[in-house]
Amino acid sequence: MSDTAESPTETQKEETQPPSDDSTTNDEKKKKKLMSKHTKTRIDVLLKAVGDTPIMKTKKWAVDRGRTVQSLSQFISRFLKLDANEQLFIYVNQSFAPSPDQEVGVLFDCFGSDGKLVLHYCKSQAWG
Amino acid sequence: MADDKDVLRDVWFGRIPTCFTLNQDEVTEREAEAYYLLLPRVSYLTLVTDKVKKHFLKVMRAEDVEEMWFEYEGTPLKWHYPIGVLFDLHASNSVLPWSITVHFKNFPDRDLLHCPSSSVIEAHFMSSIKEADALKHKSQVVNDMQKKDHKQLWMGLQNDKFDQFWAMNRKLMEYPTEEGGFRYIPFRIYQAMTGNDRPFIQKLFRPVSPEGNAYTLGDLLKEMYPAAITNDGEQKRYQVVIHGIEPLLETPLQWLSEHLSHPDNFLHICVVPTPSD
Repeated sequence: MSDTAESPTETQKEETQPPSDDSTTNDEKKKKKLMSKHTKTRIDVLLKAVGDTPIMKTKKWAVDRGRTVQSLSQFISRFLKLDANEQLFIYVNQSFAPSPDQEVGVLFDCFGSDGKLVLHYCKSQAWG
Repeated sequence: MADDKDVLRDVWFGRIPTCFTLNQDEVTEREAEAYYLLLPRVSYLTLVTDKVKKHFLKVMRAEDVEEMWFEYEGTPLKWHYPIGVLFDLHASNSVLPWSITVHFKNFPDRDLLHCPSSSVIEAHFMSSIKEADALKHKSQVVNDMQKKDHKQLWMGLQNDKFDQFWAMNRKLMEYPTEEGGFRYIPFRIYQAMTGNDRPFIQKLFRPVSPEGNAYTLGDLLKEMYPAAITNDGEQKRYQVVIHGIEPLLETPLQWLSEHLSHPDNFLHICVVPTPSD
């Protein structure tokens, strides 16, 4: 998949925005309370660095459910200002690397805990 | 425990007769003949089509050849989906052989992942197995395996060695007897209809109820995709297809997971419109 293309199945009508900061406004917090788990269009992702990979200043992000792993990976790479040829590996449960076209919403449903999806990222292969 | 060996063998050795035709717009030095091949349902396109590539490369110049990719009736075929899933989803009710068009140019980045080598296929396959075990056993079984055991699973698939594969895979199909089944069932439900808002449905689902009753395929669909189930008196709109067959909705989900999963340990379920004869 190309660098700038979104997943072909994504139907988000709103303009693609970088994931919002952790400092959610009061309005957004109210919105989150009203939405049930199933209708929530954004899920909380916690990004953890592995090994000597740079640590993100902001670790907690609210990400659209339909966002792909590849899209998130590209965002992290840009945020960390990695070189274009530097790879980034993303892991769930510190055990498997999801397919680049996998939606984070599905990963959250299956592997989320305490209301968030924890993803580890690494510049080299960590868990094979 | 997976002891119904006949079913396991039938699933493993399922084949789809396929006809590969070169895309008309490819530049060739002479006419390219179609290439016929029996594709294993449980494998991946880029793993089993070296012969296809060799065949068409004979009539092309090297400079006209980029990464090979496949398309069926205008739809790029995702190599990282098992072949049988692609067929059931896109072509299950069409005439055999399955007619696939081969391309060597204009790789559709938006629709397909690149597949530069077989190690990419191996990584994807092993990740699927690990994801499935995370659901089934909190990753305990796959993590207890050694690297050589993981390799054996891959080599078994790559070399079409049923016994080699299942010698290891049977461990992934075990569960504590007191539990009655896996923790959660690894499954994916694909919908053939266009305009979907998601490529497949994958959620947490236990094989056994809190009271200890075995959930069925019908129970899973009722929860995840109720439109797939025909109600009394209604005309049947959809077929629920696994490995090219329609299992009875009363089939226990745990049994399906143990016997009709793909080698990646996922139960891939296709919901396709019933053909109008």
